Amino acid sequence: MANELSTNVNEITQYIVIRIGEEQYGIDIKYIDNIVRMQQITRVPQVPGHFKGVINLRGEVIPVMSLRIKMGLSADEETKDTRIIIIKMDQHEPIGMMVDSVKEVVNLNSAEIERASFDKSDGQNAYASGIGKHETGLITLLDLDMVFQGL
Amino acid sequence: MDVSQYLDIFLDESKEHLQNLNTSVLNLEQDPENPDTIGEIFRAAHTLKGMAGTMGYKRMQTLTHDMENVFSEVRDGNLKVNAGMIDVLFRCLDAIEGYVSVIAETSDEGTNDNEPIIKELNDILAGKGGAEAAPAAEAPAEAPKEEAKEPAADAGHVWNVGSLSEEEQKALEDAMLANKKIYNVTVTVQENCLLKAARAFLVFKAIEESGEIIAADPSTQDIEDEKFDLSFSLIIASEGELEPILKEIKAVSEIADAKGGIFDGESSADASASEAPKDEKPKEAEAAKPAPAPTTAVAPVKNEVAKKPESKAAPAAKNEKKGGKPAVNRTVRVDIEKLDSLMNLVSELIIAKNSLVSGATSEAENGGNSNLHEQIEYLESVTTNLHESVMKVRMVPIESVVSKFPRMIRDISKSLNKPMELFMSGEETELDRTVVDEIGDPLMHMLRNSADHGLEMPEERIAKGKPESGSIFLDAYQDGNNVVIEVRDDGNGIDTDRVRQKAIERGIMTEEQAYAADDSEIINLLFMPSFSTAKQVSDLSGRGVGLDVVKSKIEALSGEVDVKTKLGEGTTFTIRLPLTLAIIQALMVVVGGEKYAIALSGIQTIEDINPHDVKTVESKEVINLRGTVIPLLRLDHILECESRRKADSHMIVVIAKKGDKLAGLVVDELIGQQEIVIKSMGKYINKCKFISGATILGDGEVALIIDSNALI
Repeated sequence: MANELSTNVNEITQYIVIRIGEEQYGIDIKYIDNIVRMQQITRVPQVPGHFKGVINLRGEVIPVMSLRIKMGLSADEETKDTRIIIIKMDQHEPIGMMVDSVKEVVNLNSAEIERASFDKSDGQNAYASGIGKHETGLITLLDLDMVFQGL
Repeated sequence: MDVSQYLDIFLDESKEHLQNLNTSVLNLEQDPENPDTIGEIFRAAHTLKGMAGTMGYKRMQTLTHDMENVFSEVRDGNLKVNAGMIDVLFRCLDAIEGYVSVIAETSDEGTNDNEPIIKELNDILAGKGGAEAAPAAEAPAEAPKEEAKEPAADAGHVWNVGSLSEEEQKALEDAMLANKKIYNVTVTVQENCLLKAARAFLVFKAIEESGEIIAADPSTQDIEDEKFDLSFSLIIASEGELEPILKEIKAVSEIADAKGGIFDGESSADASASEAPKDEKPKEAEAAKPAPAPTTAVAPVKNEVAKKPESKAAPAAKNEKKGGKPAVNRTVRVDIEKLDSLMNLVSELIIAKNSLVSGATSEAENGGNSNLHEQIEYLESVTTNLHESVMKVRMVPIESVVSKFPRMIRDISKSLNKPMELFMSGEETELDRTVVDEIGDPLMHMLRNSADHGLEMPEERIAKGKPESGSIFLDAYQDGNNVVIEVRDDGNGIDTDRVRQKAIERGIMTEEQAYAADDSEIINLLFMPSFSTAKQVSDLSGRGVGLDVVKSKIEALSGEVDVKTKLGEGTTFTIRLPLTLAIIQALMVVVGGEKYAIALSGIQTIEDINPHDVKTVESKEVINLRGTVIPLLRLDHILECESRRKADSHMIVVIAKKGDKLAGLVVDELIGQQEIVIKSMGKYINKCKFISGATILGDGEVALIIDSNALI
């Protein structure tokens, strides 16, 4: 890890910072297709609990999951700040992720990212790929591959 | 320009002709004397040869040429069709198919000369005595076309040199200064020529070997774009004589004629000259012999010179273009992708229309204007018609896939030494093009399966008191919004005990499980990957690929496969496919405050049921509907939501049917019938078996589509 850091010091990655409960999470901006306001979600029966249902995104039907439930937190409370982040990764179909709110976009260079080893068995940490140190506080960087694993 | 742009057409048409030939030869085997069949084969072989020649596939051309020769002899009654000849012909067709598939992959015909087949074809020819007269047979075929030719074309072309561009005039002058001879040549293609531009291109190529094209009318660009009727004229500069050039041109197949003479540069170059010497040499009407086959004798060349008053040139050229137009083909080949995008647009339009409808309905409730409503109703009928038309455009008869099966069964029959016959019906049944394209392989697997595993060997059949020759039936028909294809054989049926044994051997089931399972569960094992019961792996089947592929292919097309079998009597595979894939008529219902769509095709009736009439049989709810006992499915339980109706009020029951099975689906409310566009929900969330997709309603809301078939 140390080597990787020293070679890529100047590499800057943009993250969108979202809030879930009291914690801040960062999602690599290159995977984000869209951020939409909360809208009516059509429930789909007999699917795992973290799937909230499907929405109509400009004529396409997109499944929406709850990051809170996936992380083992209490169910989402819809507020005016609730957003759905549409994630589009290569090889994956687009999927919406419900978050409590979207805060800002931050630039993090590799020196500011700490890729510590996490205890992956812990619900919330299982999806972290690193910690970003930013003036606004610590940002847990989401490992989307892990989030999508086993969906 | 080069011929590669015609490759797709060439491949498509070659395949069509090959299919045609296969079918005809098969008919010929049954009815060796039928003159219509023989004529059909001859024509198809002839066209195929011409096409191969045009594209420059010499080996394919040679082979088809030899095959055509055999047929011309058969047609003229000099040869009799026999079993050996049919076999050779089939091998010949396979070889041609081989060329076509090599061409499809590499756009080159490969290096296989297929000499043994050519030799056999020649042996057949020799067998009848004097092997000659191949070109002679061609002449009659060409003759009528020649007669149909416009006399105007014979007169040569009149050039208005004034209309030549500056470069052309310059080139003309240069050529004259270089002491080259200038010729005026008019080339006429055959009336039924398919690739006119390709022929023209070959003509250009032929000319350029010995000369140079100075001008063309219509312009070369137009000729390449096929913007000419049957003939075009060229001014050619060459150091050589005219006759060899004309000969070269005529050697291009499907060229009906080429004639020309010395181009009078002097008088023509002077555009204002109104009189020019008229020096028409005697015509030789019968001389224009086309040369589609290299063997044809050298055609005498006509020397007629076209020197006419320049002032009349333009109108004369116009007249020449009129008439003699080939009958316009009423069909168009369209790329399926274009149809797909058209279909998507129609889908969008329907969604937009639905939202207008829902907007107008709420408006009307508030006492809105009725004119708007009328207009929207009109829009609704237009979009529905548009949708139907687009769907119809995409529909093709399944004939295009099933027509190759009789030949396949014949070959299997020969190679297994098992007499059998294939009976087909309903080849005209139409299905969406994408479905038809995909259905060929699964059907082939099933037919092979029937031929190889299903039917018994003749001795065994006789011992059982069955006719020696086995029968396989392929029946297609439309059933409501579905198309049903049945593959049936009168063979031995599936031996469920052997399948059980196999399942235990393979460790798929324990002994208890295997004997507890009923026959239909056991038969379903056959659709599992790598499960084959054939005692011996044969060339045809038994490699364990087959039925599982069939099932997954058909399910990918939103269809289903069903097997019925009776030991000793035969097996029937039934494939049920939806007629349309993207847009369906659906009944919109409400369950627990949520809207759902149920495909109308799966609904028989809607009933109003008194809760007191619900009986319980084996702890399952049923209703007795006019003498039929129908199980009741409470959608609110299945969909994991809560019904908002009072338990003692009347129930709305949608009676769904699947084949001959019925079930009653209890819903809260009916909204009505609506055209819906099916959208996939993506792979993350499609685990739910009875939800087949989602649709977007007029107000933008997403409603799920209930697959009533999966519920029954």
